[in-house]
Amino acid sequence: MTGDDLAALLPILVLALGSVGLLLIGAWFPRRRTLILTGVGIAVAAAAAAAFYTPPVEEISGLYGSGLYARFFTVLWSLVAALVLLLSVRYAVELGFAGGEYTALVLFGAAGMSLLSASTSLVGFFLGLEAFTLVFYILIAFHKGDPLGAEAGLKYLVLGAVATGFMAFGIALIYTASGTFHLPEAMEGITAGARFRPIGLLGWGMLLVVIGFKVSLVPFHLWTPDVYQGAPAPVAGLLSTGSKGAVFAALVTLLAGLPADRSDLIPILWVLSAISMVVGTLSALRQDNVKRMLAYSSVVHMGYVMIALLSGGASGGRAIVFYLVAYAAANLGAFGVIASLTGAGGEPQTYDDFQGIGWRNPFRCAALAIFLLSLAGIPPTAGFIGKFGIFYAAMESGYGVLAILGILASLISLYYYLRVVVLMFMTFECEVDHARGGISEHSALTICLGAVVILGILPGPLLDLIAALFS
Amino acid sequence: MSTVLFYILGFTALAATLMCITRRNPVHAVIYLVNAFFALALLFYLLGAPLVAAWEVIIYAGAIMVLFLFIIMMLELAPMHTPAGPGWKRWGPVAALSLILLCCTILMVAVDTGSSQSVPFFYVSPRVFGTVLFKKYPLAVQVVSFQLLFAAVGAYYVGRSERLADREDKS
Repeated sequence: MTGDDLAALLPILVLALGSVGLLLIGAWFPRRRTLILTGVGIAVAAAAAAAFYTPPVEEISGLYGSGLYARFFTVLWSLVAALVLLLSVRYAVELGFAGGEYTALVLFGAAGMSLLSASTSLVGFFLGLEAFTLVFYILIAFHKGDPLGAEAGLKYLVLGAVATGFMAFGIALIYTASGTFHLPEAMEGITAGARFRPIGLLGWGMLLVVIGFKVSLVPFHLWTPDVYQGAPAPVAGLLSTGSKGAVFAALVTLLAGLPADRSDLIPILWVLSAISMVVGTLSALRQDNVKRMLAYSSVVHMGYVMIALLSGGASGGRAIVFYLVAYAAANLGAFGVIASLTGAGGEPQTYDDFQGIGWRNPFRCAALAIFLLSLAGIPPTAGFIGKFGIFYAAMESGYGVLAILGILASLISLYYYLRVVVLMFMTFECEVDHARGGISEHSALTICLGAVVILGILPGPLLDLIAALFS
Repeated sequence: MSTVLFYILGFTALAATLMCITRRNPVHAVIYLVNAFFALALLFYLLGAPLVAAWEVIIYAGAIMVLFLFIIMMLELAPMHTPAGPGWKRWGPVAALSLILLCCTILMVAVDTGSSQSVPFFYVSPRVFGTVLFKKYPLAVQVVSFQLLFAAVGAYYVGRSERLADREDKS
């Protein structure tokens, strides 16, 4: 490791060392609000470092890239972490979280996500994925008085440990087939006619199990609703946007190394995408808990992203990256609204808790309505442009059936998204009283709302930037 | 010779792991797991990775399994009453597996003449291992150390008492 490598790691160092620093400060000055707001500052500083500092090397010790693609995702996950922390300021005080530990874990989680998105080697992939998975084991069960949270944490821990086993085994097999960890050469072991092709394919299949688990594709999605329900709302927001998005970002790099003829992988990815959309949609229809509904809807969304992944090529890659940004803004906002409504009585989760609250909390409920519409893909929100990009890429590369399936799934999804909006605004009796929310939450929600609306009306600059990532 | 040993050890490891996950008594399960770790350690040695073999014994069979036993005994998970009698069925399989492992170890030591032919083709000495780890993957070591730090933080947070947590003000 040279000085240049360290310089290229600057944003990650800001996040990791900042989180350790906050842990130390938290030991002597346990003030939740100050600690969490300092964490927001550190995350924004890391985003600025990634955005404005051009690193001197293209790759750091053969593990992580530091090119435009890696920097883009470092900025994105740092900003997501900053928003999550902003959304947690009042929530953490309300539920008695330890400020130093909470902030430090979120910041290190963002570092792990950035590393995963930047990974150019299977070792880097493993380490990045484990870094933020470990953080989530703790964050999901962070509310210690909550038995549902403990259950969710345990479920994620046990299944996550199994997934880690699969990943280590898969990476070992891929290494056996190709003799290198470095992407994309490591994927050469599964090209047609390679000597150890069966071993390489087996390894790749195991890796696919892990990816399916992390981004909750059907049939690896069973943990998702329980964990989302039990996890604190800001953590669930981070889990559904950052951890899934980072895996997809790494997957784009992983798949880029595959041979042009992917005839034996395409059916598997096709089926995963199709059943994720179908099963996710049908399960979401039956929920009466907003967080569980959002969990199943995230399964559907990951199915959409799989379509773009299948389409491949530059247009598929661009569609994935734009969709991840649009999805992150809308989903984080939706979980943020739930966090901001949380009072001493716990989180509002069931549909009864949302009955008629639109007239008492007009700004936040209107924001939630717009986030849900963006998730459903209604213009003029960012979700529409994202879905348009994905289905366009699918049609372009001949996946018409999947595109039609996706469009049908989004049509049906309107039912379960609009149901919440109808509950909030079409009933005038309101029997529940929720928290009023703090300034920090309102500002975070305004930022998410701004992103959703502006990206929907004026997607050009971001699309140009994303096009530059793939050139 | 080494091929035969490889398969014997492989099946021993598999059998021990199978026994481990089917036992109802957690202490018995731990004993089988220790057997599996020893079989794996011998496998690693056979494949030319003596350092990994040593770690398998010292860290997994030694430190981690002792910790497991501590926790099982602290939580009193093991059944209190054991049936009377010699209990061949209970300790027979463990004894058999351990005997196989002992024989394999003796064979390996006996066959190892110290000549260059007895060294496997891919022999990774501790020196080579350390050089690769700290020259090629220093960043990986750093990332792992950060992960361990946060694992410790998490364990501490989950385990600490509520009274300490209340120290934080309500501001």
